[in-house]
Amino acid sequence: MSVAAAPVREPAAGERRQGRGVLRRLARHRLGAVAFAVFVMLVLAVIAAPVVARHDPNDVVLKQRNQPPSATHWLGTDHLGRDVFARVLYGGRVSLSVGLAGITIAVSIGVVVGTISGFVGGKVDAALLKFSEIVISFPGFIIILTLVSLLGPNLFTVMAVLGFIQWTDIYRIVRNQLLALREQEFVLAARSLGAHWAALAFRHLLPNALAPVIVSATLGTAGMILTEAGLSFLGVGVQVPTPSWGNMLTAAQNLTALVNYWWQWVPPGVAITVAVLCINFIGDALRDAQDPRQKI
Amino acid sequence: MGTYLVRRVVSMIPTLLGITIIVFVFIELAPGDAAMAILAGRVEEEEIAFTEEELAKIRREMGLDRPAPIRYLEWLGNLVRADLGVSLSTRRPVAELVSFRLGPTLELMGAAFLMSSVLGLSLGVVSALKRYSPIDHALTVAGMMGISTPTFYVGLLALFLLSVQLDLFPLGGRVSPGATDTAARLHHLVLPAFILGLDLTAALMRYTRSSVLEVLRRDFVTTARSKGLPAWRVILVHAFRNALIPIIVVLGLRLPILIGGSVVIETVFNWPGMGAFYIGSVRGRDYPIIMAVTLFSALAVLAASVLVDLLTALADPRVRLHSRGEAGR
Repeated sequence: MSVAAAPVREPAAGERRQGRGVLRRLARHRLGAVAFAVFVMLVLAVIAAPVVARHDPNDVVLKQRNQPPSATHWLGTDHLGRDVFARVLYGGRVSLSVGLAGITIAVSIGVVVGTISGFVGGKVDAALLKFSEIVISFPGFIIILTLVSLLGPNLFTVMAVLGFIQWTDIYRIVRNQLLALREQEFVLAARSLGAHWAALAFRHLLPNALAPVIVSATLGTAGMILTEAGLSFLGVGVQVPTPSWGNMLTAAQNLTALVNYWWQWVPPGVAITVAVLCINFIGDALRDAQDPRQKI
Repeated sequence: MGTYLVRRVVSMIPTLLGITIIVFVFIELAPGDAAMAILAGRVEEEEIAFTEEELAKIRREMGLDRPAPIRYLEWLGNLVRADLGVSLSTRRPVAELVSFRLGPTLELMGAAFLMSSVLGLSLGVVSALKRYSPIDHALTVAGMMGISTPTFYVGLLALFLLSVQLDLFPLGGRVSPGATDTAARLHHLVLPAFILGLDLTAALMRYTRSSVLEVLRRDFVTTARSKGLPAWRVILVHAFRNALIPIIVVLGLRLPILIGGSVVIETVFNWPGMGAFYIGSVRGRDYPIIMAVTLFSALAVLAASVLVDLLTALADPRVRLHSRGEAGR
């Protein structure tokens, strides 16, 4: 997933040869830095939701239904008179933590299983690899939807299922790195010095796999936030009254709301896009940072 | 190539078996079953509580009282005889229920695949040839936006702007296949198919761009140019054909995006396909339907990966189809 560059003019012919790659990388990192700053602001706003929002997200005021944006309700109110701005902020808590918890589970499983696979090798590795291939052959969204719905859709099943289905990328990275590194001299040296297997794995091998894992985890988080949105939009994700960016968008399934009350469904979608865009840019910047030979 | 194909197909079988077992185990472990779902629906509608005897009776009628392993093996045995079983809630054959709704979904997915292939490839080539031009930057930004926005949200925005405000497209739905009016059918199909294909279009565009740029740097392109061949010939015949290989791989491996995306996009555009039907079946714990749908979507994913290998060999004569230890990813 290499993303091409930010708008950068090509430098004049003379400086071209030397300057180009460095300049471009700098610009790309600047993009990553901007994305990081925006994302941090978003996270802070979401954490400080009780302070930033002046209304309770679950305050039903039936007299104030479907009100357009105003000084009291910055983004208007929904079909139950709840403040949309407050719900977007509190929904952000839910949606972002789904991404964070899901990726934590996925990385934990991927690293543990990948370490076993790469470290033990042989038949154990073959069996685990086959198992990961089975999981990869699942058509992702269909199986996630099925499992979440079967287990009872709520915040925690969404987190768990996302984590348990999407560990395979991390697993492959860790496994391949370990298999490649296993035979290298520094590992042989450590081994012949009598290093404990745990020391080998955690001090010598895993740190080498860390950078690609971080990149993959960042981009994976973005994917999970999008998946949560889709699930909750279909009603098989985070359930109301708990707001999430995804289930707020279900408002638009009602034609009246879609046509007349744009403030009820446009803001949560914008929030998702901004968050995911930032995470993707950060992921790309991280990838470039770890590999200077990265093609654009 | 024949033995290769046979070997690949045979190697799919354990994977597919594994998938069906995992799905079945989850259906069994999950709280509730089809009998409960039906009775719960009745409680909600008519507010009549149900007794344990009733529950047991319905379970017996559905065959749910027999042990799960037996039911799994029975399902598998029927599958071998090309029988997908009978839906628990409607008592109609699964094959009939599914085929009734599969048509519209395949139509939508096919159109999305076609549109995103054409759009993704051509925009990617334009982007590569006009590198660092305003067009290239605009397309790059659009592509990044494309993969960062939920497609169904783009669909909602498109409905709001194009259908409601500008009245360019219908508000969703599908013209029944009986109607002879092809223009009206296409009119209903274009927008949902375009939106469903957005992810794929964006991905294809980016891969095409980098793949073409990569190929344009190679020696044989320089040679072709210095021979004085016309630019279009260099690009289309020499560069594009070689750039095509990684693109085919992307196209095939991203197929699951279309399968999953169609569920959501069908909801947005009120498309009468598998989406709503499947969600309802999962809620109703109708396991023959759940098993059939997951099995066939997994089969589609695996078949796509075989197809990728075949097409790669076709596009690049250097690739030889020996059975590889593991499918490359």
